[in-house]
Amino acid sequence: MSGSSGAVASEKGQDTRRSCVEESFFASPLYDFLYPLRPVANQWSAKYIILIFALIVRLAVGLGGYSGKGKGPLFGDFEAQRHWMEITTCLPISRWYFYDLEYWGLDYPPLTAYHSYILGRLGSFVNATWFKLNTSRGFESIDLKSFMRITVLLSELVCYIPAVMYFTRWIGRHRNQSPIGQYVACAAILFQPSLILIDHGHFQYNCVMLGLVVYTINNLLDEFYGFAAICFVLSLGFKQMALYYSPVIFAYLFSRSAYYPRFNFPRFAGIAIATLLTFGALYAPLCLFGDFRNIIQSVYRVFPFSRGIFEDKVANFWCVTNVIIKYRELYTQKQLQFYCLLTTAIAQFPAFIIIFLYPKKFLLPYALAACSMAFFLFSFQVHEKTILVPLLPITLLHISTNWDVLSMVAWINNVALFTLWPLLKKDGLLLQYAIMFLLSNWLLGNFSFVTPTFLPKFLTPGPSVSDVADDYRRRSLLPKNIFWRIIIVSSYVCMAFIHLLDLYVQPPRNYPDIWVLATCALGFACFTAFWLWNYYQLYRMRNSSLNEL
Amino acid sequence: MSVRRTVKKVNSDSEGDAKKKKRVVRNHGSEEDSGKREMQKSAEAEKQDADWGGGKRVSGSEEKQGCRFSLWNFWVSSTVLKLLLMPDYFSTDLEVHRNWLALTNKLPLLDWYREATSQWTLDYPPFFAYFEWVLSQFVPAVVRDDGCLDIVKEGKFGWPTVVFLRLTVIGTEILLFVVLQVFINTSDESERTVNFIIASSIALSPGFLIVDHMHFQYNGFLFAILIASIVAAKKERYLLCGAFFTTVLCFKHIFLYLAPAYFTFLLRAYVLNFSNFSFRTYRDLIFVVRWFNLLKLGVIIVSILAVCFVPFIPVLPQLISRLFPFSRGLTHAYWAPNFWAVYAFMDRILTFIMLKMPYVHKCATKIVLPPLIPNSIEEIKNRIGASNYGTRGLVQDILFIILPQVQPRLTFALTLFYQILAIIPVLFNPSFKRFIGCLTLCGFSSFLFGWHVHEKAIMLVIVPFSFLVSMDRRLLTPFMLLTASGYVSLFPLLYQSSEFLIKVLYTWIWCIIYFSALKKTVKVSTSIQRRVFFFDRLAVCYCLLLVPMVLAVESLGVMKFKYVILQKYEFLGLMCYSIFCSIGVISSWIGLSWLFNFDEPLWV
Repeated sequence: MSGSSGAVASEKGQDTRRSCVEESFFASPLYDFLYPLRPVANQWSAKYIILIFALIVRLAVGLGGYSGKGKGPLFGDFEAQRHWMEITTCLPISRWYFYDLEYWGLDYPPLTAYHSYILGRLGSFVNATWFKLNTSRGFESIDLKSFMRITVLLSELVCYIPAVMYFTRWIGRHRNQSPIGQYVACAAILFQPSLILIDHGHFQYNCVMLGLVVYTINNLLDEFYGFAAICFVLSLGFKQMALYYSPVIFAYLFSRSAYYPRFNFPRFAGIAIATLLTFGALYAPLCLFGDFRNIIQSVYRVFPFSRGIFEDKVANFWCVTNVIIKYRELYTQKQLQFYCLLTTAIAQFPAFIIIFLYPKKFLLPYALAACSMAFFLFSFQVHEKTILVPLLPITLLHISTNWDVLSMVAWINNVALFTLWPLLKKDGLLLQYAIMFLLSNWLLGNFSFVTPTFLPKFLTPGPSVSDVADDYRRRSLLPKNIFWRIIIVSSYVCMAFIHLLDLYVQPPRNYPDIWVLATCALGFACFTAFWLWNYYQLYRMRNSSLNEL
Repeated sequence: MSVRRTVKKVNSDSEGDAKKKKRVVRNHGSEEDSGKREMQKSAEAEKQDADWGGGKRVSGSEEKQGCRFSLWNFWVSSTVLKLLLMPDYFSTDLEVHRNWLALTNKLPLLDWYREATSQWTLDYPPFFAYFEWVLSQFVPAVVRDDGCLDIVKEGKFGWPTVVFLRLTVIGTEILLFVVLQVFINTSDESERTVNFIIASSIALSPGFLIVDHMHFQYNGFLFAILIASIVAAKKERYLLCGAFFTTVLCFKHIFLYLAPAYFTFLLRAYVLNFSNFSFRTYRDLIFVVRWFNLLKLGVIIVSILAVCFVPFIPVLPQLISRLFPFSRGLTHAYWAPNFWAVYAFMDRILTFIMLKMPYVHKCATKIVLPPLIPNSIEEIKNRIGASNYGTRGLVQDILFIILPQVQPRLTFALTLFYQILAIIPVLFNPSFKRFIGCLTLCGFSSFLFGWHVHEKAIMLVIVPFSFLVSMDRRLLTPFMLLTASGYVSLFPLLYQSSEFLIKVLYTWIWCIIYFSALKKTVKVSTSIQRRVFFFDRLAVCYCLLLVPMVLAVESLGVMKFKYVILQKYEFLGLMCYSIFCSIGVISSWIGLSWLFNFDEPLWV
């Protein structure tokens, strides 16, 4: 239990009932909602209730717009996904990676293609006109939209949600967290706004890749190394962004089989064989039904080194410092690629080393976060949506019971959501953006200060059904350290300010992107601060145990 | 632990005093470290086996904490969901209300009921018109420019108008939460848990979500007023009860269906007094009436009605004809799940059978004489032709082919008959329980037998029934049947694919949560267990069967892209819905009527 909530308890002179680990979200609305499910007889229903409400929120967000809606001739990600379903169902495998590359050519690894193929088949079964070759380009209808939304939901239902539930349960069980504590953490992870908005609003299938990564982590926790390798390769095979995690996963697997606790050849061989076989299975159809050229082409498509150093405006090092140093004028593409590689390698190296020397289960989220954040901040060709990759291990830290950790996680989640603002604004998802921001923070209890401060006494609501004392108020998630408090609060103030500017002030003519750049700069600063904190945490915790997570 | 026990005892003594003492005790406890530790232990023990609404334990812990049972969290979360639903499909009702907003804003009072530029003329009583006028005063400039306040044949408006109107629904619905919170706060400690469940079940009802926030209507705050009158009746504040009911009647005249119950209840409980009545001469009857009470009630009701209708006296006939349009047909395009749906379905089946197997018709004519049944097969075919023509006509009336036609008079007679059956017990025993049962049954009979009933009217039954179900566990079976089938029957209101999963999942989770919560908290009021288990199981089976039914109908809809022939049979899905749901509603009605009329321990 963190000290700060203990301090609150001594302030109030009561609330002795918060015992230990499970109460990190004590008195938050999530806790209040899930409290009735405490007794053993009701526990089975908790996960279904969380699941169904998670689905309802995703569906409700899905009612809004999607990327590129009605914006021909190229449209957006929605059209890209639909187009891939079209080409995978209508063309032989040998032509998938070659067909009309100008119009949303397939640029993800083969598993995405297979996934599109299955969904495309399903969709063609319902309505064949949705995925007719060439004629269906830019097709838009309510039913198609619903179908596509449901495919995302199904993918998430299979890949992401069970993985997260298993993860929270595993951690909870191994340190005697109460079931309700596990469920609260699980709900907190599932209500993470950024992923919901990108997948179900903007439209992408990130949940598949991220879910497979969580499965990888689950298998690592259960010490099924072969399965972990399979899951991770599948995740890589879905989106190459999973590479951001690869150093840590590699280091962990390697040190676990090489020396921790001793050299274990069967394990090593198992991992190697599983990895190779999975890669083989993924690429075999491309080779069998086409030829070797097909594989080369797919790899070439997946790693777009011919593209620029960053896409649009991203809150990473290159994009933000580009304001001062015009990289593209100073250096050639090749040089830039080399510098990116170098900086990324240096930035992720400490995580790699620590996880190699201390391959402990509870360090995984920290190490993955540090490593993937390093990639996000310094690597080549980063999208703003890619923040979801570092955000996943960070969000998994919701199972922590340390007040400081939770505060940082909540903060960086908000920052990440904030950096997605320009993208969501383009898609017309402002309402959903605002609502999801409010909802996720409210559920975690970050707005509990509002009610007693701004509402008259007779309107101040008490807790509805939980064991929270009448006059107990949960504090918002802020770290104990005053330095961090100042940083976090001022970052929130800046965010609000930038939002106001963006909404009400026309940018100067010479700098039409000035507000977006401000968003990126603020995001970059916060991410960097978090990243450093994360490294510090990783270093500090290298010798502690699961219970201190 | 011991400290807490004393609190419990004190609490049971007297409330106000107890709170003070409790605070003292608490402070005391917090100073003592050992006591603190003990309390912690007990709390942990409680965590392990405390059961929500498990009766004893929860009521105990609730006393300890002085739990407030606030609806605040529910309000916030449901509002968030409702805001997310704003871009969703809305029905023509949004255009209807927008038009009313425009005409109340732009026209003088007397023209409100005469204006007919748009086909969506004002056909709610004047209070609702006033309400629209008040809302129209708050229309911001952006929305005004968007065309929200234009009196035109067909409204041209965009996102700002939709947002504004949706926000007014969300805003006025706050009243529902307030009233329900008052209901919780004023209820006894012992029944607060179950009342909290009832209140939250109404506040989070899928019915309001579907009808108000997706389909678009203002039921939330109207039902808030109705609930206020029910709560007043419970607290024996009869004047308030009458006033609230009259008010809601002046907002929407569909509540007229509940008026007989209110009339009888108020008459019997407030106006008449049979307590020391002995008949000697007819003069004694004068003293049965409490004249002063009658005067008070009368003045209140008449003055409310006056405020409502007096400004419209010059156009009163026009107003009345708007409120009660008799030109509509027996059933709606989509049959509401009531008796007439079954009737119409039987007619379709008989037609089918008789056309396929003419000798059935021959046998039938032997038993039933020709005026009641078509003479020959040719006549059946003629009637089919006529009915097809009829549905395309302006008057959307249903023409029965085999069975006798139904006149409005018959539906009114049936409705009134069953309402009177429900009222009689209240005449003898004007208790709150009886009253609320009678209210539910009045809603039922009007829904089942009424003329041109809309499926949305099911809320008129569900809301009173929610207050009834807390009385006894045996009522839970009909309640489950009613809510499950009633809410499912609202699904066809939203026919688009985008909201299909939302409405299904929301209703499903609502049913699971509240059925299990009620099962745990509602007690059997008598020691004698007179439940028929077979029916209980059957009801559960029925509720579960609704799921495959909904999915089957939806997949039929999905397949229509592939098999064009299915588009012709779209009515099949709707028929499936209304027949299946009407079975649930009717059996719920039968179950409740049985308990209401023949189960005396329940009502004492």
